[in-house]
Amino acid sequence: MRVGKLPARKARILALRYLGAGVVTLLFLFPVYWLFMISFKTPDEIYHVPPLWIPGQIQFSNYYVLFKDGDVLAILNSLIVAGASSGIAIVLGTLCAYSLARFGTGGENLAMWIISQRMIPPIAVVFPIFLIYVYFGLVDGYFGLILIYTAFNLPYVIWMMRGYIVDVPLELEESALVDGLNRWEVIWKIVFPMVRAGLMATSVFTFVFAWNDFLFALVLTRTEVITFPVMLTHYFGGQSNFWGKIAAMSVLGTLPIFVAVSVMQRYLVRGISLGAVKG
Amino acid sequence: MTLSASLNGAEQRRPSRLGRMLEDRLPYLIVAPAILILLLVGLFPLIYSLIVSFQRITMTENDTSFVGFLNYAELFRDARLWAALGHTAIITAIALPLELLIGFLMAQLFIDRMPGRQLFVALLVLPTVISPIVAGATWRLMFDIRFGPIGEILSFIAGEPVRILWTVNPAYVYPAIVICEVWQWSPFMFLLLLAALSNVDQSQLEAAEIDGASYLRVLRAIVLPAIAPVVAVACLIRGLDLVRIFDIIWALTEGGPGSRTETISLYTYVQGFSQFETSYTAAISFLVIALLTLITTLVLKRMELAR
Amino acid sequence: MKFRTILGAAAVLALAGASAPAADKDAADIAVDAAKKYAGTTISIVWEAGLQSLDPLNYSGPQWEKLTGIKVKVIEVPTDQMFTKIMQDFKSGAGAYDALNVIPSWMPDLARAGALEPLDKYVDKFGYRDELQDIAAAYRDNQMQYDGKIFGFPDDGDVMLLYYRKDIFEDPKVKEEFKAKFGYELAPPKDWKQFDEIGQFITDKMAPKVYGAGFFRTAPYPQYMFQERFRMEGGKFFNADTMKATVNGDVGLKVFKEMKAENKFMPPGVEQWNFVDNLAAFLQGTTAMTISWPPYGRWAAGYGSGEEALKWVPKSQVAGKVGYALTPLGRPELGVGFDLSVSATSKNKEAAYLFIQWLNSKKTSLERVQLPYTLRDPFRLSHYASEKYRGLWPDAPAYLDTIKTSGEKGLLDLSLLQQDKYDEAMTKAISSLWAGEDPKAILDRMAQQFDAITDKVGIDNQKAVYKVWAAKPGAYPQ
Repeated sequence: MRVGKLPARKARILALRYLGAGVVTLLFLFPVYWLFMISFKTPDEIYHVPPLWIPGQIQFSNYYVLFKDGDVLAILNSLIVAGASSGIAIVLGTLCAYSLARFGTGGENLAMWIISQRMIPPIAVVFPIFLIYVYFGLVDGYFGLILIYTAFNLPYVIWMMRGYIVDVPLELEESALVDGLNRWEVIWKIVFPMVRAGLMATSVFTFVFAWNDFLFALVLTRTEVITFPVMLTHYFGGQSNFWGKIAAMSVLGTLPIFVAVSVMQRYLVRGISLGAVKG
Repeated sequence: MTLSASLNGAEQRRPSRLGRMLEDRLPYLIVAPAILILLLVGLFPLIYSLIVSFQRITMTENDTSFVGFLNYAELFRDARLWAALGHTAIITAIALPLELLIGFLMAQLFIDRMPGRQLFVALLVLPTVISPIVAGATWRLMFDIRFGPIGEILSFIAGEPVRILWTVNPAYVYPAIVICEVWQWSPFMFLLLLAALSNVDQSQLEAAEIDGASYLRVLRAIVLPAIAPVVAVACLIRGLDLVRIFDIIWALTEGGPGSRTETISLYTYVQGFSQFETSYTAAISFLVIALLTLITTLVLKRMELAR
Repeated sequence: MKFRTILGAAAVLALAGASAPAADKDAADIAVDAAKKYAGTTISIVWEAGLQSLDPLNYSGPQWEKLTGIKVKVIEVPTDQMFTKIMQDFKSGAGAYDALNVIPSWMPDLARAGALEPLDKYVDKFGYRDELQDIAAAYRDNQMQYDGKIFGFPDDGDVMLLYYRKDIFEDPKVKEEFKAKFGYELAPPKDWKQFDEIGQFITDKMAPKVYGAGFFRTAPYPQYMFQERFRMEGGKFFNADTMKATVNGDVGLKVFKEMKAENKFMPPGVEQWNFVDNLAAFLQGTTAMTISWPPYGRWAAGYGSGEEALKWVPKSQVAGKVGYALTPLGRPELGVGFDLSVSATSKNKEAAYLFIQWLNSKKTSLERVQLPYTLRDPFRLSHYASEKYRGLWPDAPAYLDTIKTSGEKGLLDLSLLQQDKYDEAMTKAISSLWAGEDPKAILDRMAQQFDAITDKVGIDNQKAVYKVWAAKPGAYPQ
């Protein structure tokens, strides 16, 4: 669709779409904007009546303090833990999803059992898991957190990817098999690329789930591997509220995902597909 | 390709190369690592919890003798528990459809090419990425009657001062929670649906357009069936997550005023975390698991029947 | 009192023959000397996350390491997670914590569970009895022991003070107008009727620039104010014989109604205020009276305002204009507080103990309560009398004197088995009050909840604990 040569009707629709996009973005981003502004405000501006829409001046001292005090390490820790657990969950989970989708492995029972893992209230299992981790010396370490986040993301990945895989026409795989590829190659060379959009969408959220988890990070760590959410809660005191740090830390914390999504989102939308399906 | 059809197993082609043994075992091989991890971290804690729920372990007692269904019996007498379940049901029932609808509309808006779409999509994912704790705290500040902009905006629109105590007034607490929750998770639906919509068969759509089919017709006949599997799973996942909603409510109201916005996860948290009623918490958890399993099974069965 | 007998005996022993160090060296030095043999080890201490932990992170931890060679690992935990993490560490046998910060009202539960190490033998071994006497009686006699044994050292002089705007109260025109209207001198309110009158008067006159008063109204602190007012109006929490809750009688209703009515002359939205919202309002000069803990007083005076760590505190517009007084009816709630303890599962008990003795000692604690970013309030007689502290800002002497008197007249927080459950019931009741529910209904429900909790704990168990608590001079006004 080349913009310059659009007929009037299409141009009108496009303009409306931009308007809609603008309004939607404004609505959704307003709180983010507010938070962003707080990271620059002084306490007097934060508690100002009536509320201030723009801070007096843009000063980066809140961000500077985070770097100076080493709080930013929490973001690094979260990146490592969320990234690793996400990656592992995506790979293992999609493979598992393929098996469920194409072979019906384990039938409905297995599928149900997998999704039932997500029904377990974390509170119910956090203490027993803590006990196991104490026994195996996994507390306050990267491996322990990565393991638990992978485990908690697997059901999500498996179920989501099964849905996307099911959308891939069987004929594609069958013709590939006829062409002489074995199943393993079919998975990696045909199926994975076809569900790229689904992979991207799913991986964004496995990352986010691991990134934002608070309960396990709180219980399973002490001082060595403090993750982003735990660090944040340190700023909410009973008798203190480091709003500047909360906001600055939050802004910093959204940057990695913002970048990742910007990069990945071209796979999410129409325009780049592996050719028409039937032809 | 429907969910049930795939569940009943697709045909397998005999490969022309590689040992049949490996091929035969492949389905199990590729399922194994994931299942292993799930077992590791999912099985022992559950068994432990189950055992504990039949004991009497509290903050100060460590009575590991079997007390039968004592804890479970208490569940039924606990009015606060059932109130919490009710609150959870309300929030889920309101927020989930809203998120789905808004997410779908947003996806429709952005599915076709437009310059700058990249930026929009990336920006719109931000609400989901922000830690729920911070989201709740930010909205709390925004709802504040003196420091927050929401009151100002509403007053501007209404033309007269609007003074709502969002986190104190019982009439407005649920709207506040739902607004914050929907704000944060509609982008989730948006992204998922975007991916699903992008997989809809282009040629079918073009054919329909040539035939002159109306937008709604196209939607119903082509688009919705195609994205149904993903939508179903997204709703299931999001529904289950909504049942476990915690951070946003904790930051906004801490379950208040009184216990009015206390959901099941808040109640479980208070019991298990603050008050160390380990056994009772285990019993509550199994009740929740049982209820969720029941609901999910029913829902899945209905989805199957609809095909 | 049992403690005094022990003290007497120990004093005799000390005099009788200890070739002990006690005489020339103070407790801080003794601790340092004894700890040197643990040089090279690391001990961990659980501390409230955020502002509080700057003390061990920036000051006491490094100091201790310099003096003894022992490294201090500070485990920061948000307040509402502290109890849980301590319990979890204890119950799992992980033993990862050596020293602890413990809120006194948790002490019965923690001590009973066996999570805290009894400290008496260490106190005697390292000659700390004397300096313990210097701790203000309110904390020493009520926040140190459970069942006759020492489980923690009070380390924070938490008490509620009434802060008021001296400049408004001493303004001649205002005083004249007030006297004309009400017939008595404008002064910090002596009771809640006066509080209402003064509050309404100032709001009528000066709103919306200044309102009569403001309080924090959201969880978890307002329940302390309720505890105070309820008792001062004659209320008793329980019938001592039946252990039935008596919070929903006339007194409870009166207090609830008054609390709700006060919001009328407070800034709009006060029902949502937390500790920091209330602080911001007072520092900005919006409220003429408020009730809170000692940190308000320091920050209002601008003490520590240049500190990086206090950057989140709004600038005080009222420095030099703040007066300090006892809360209406003259017996303020102590409210929360902190103790230093040793974990029963620690692998370095003696080293941990020596650290807390040093922290809590006269010498070190004086330095610590003067740190500009501290949240630890003066709690020793020597703190109140300290020339150095009294010179920190012009009104510091008045500040310290008021804290001292408040402590002497202080009311103890209710402290029974499973106290946090009773606290929760009170907190939820108060939030229902702001939501507009009928006060009687709320109180009836609260009494019901109290009774349910007592039943679960065991009426006889609780009765015994309540008896001990109620017998203390600070439990009920005589």
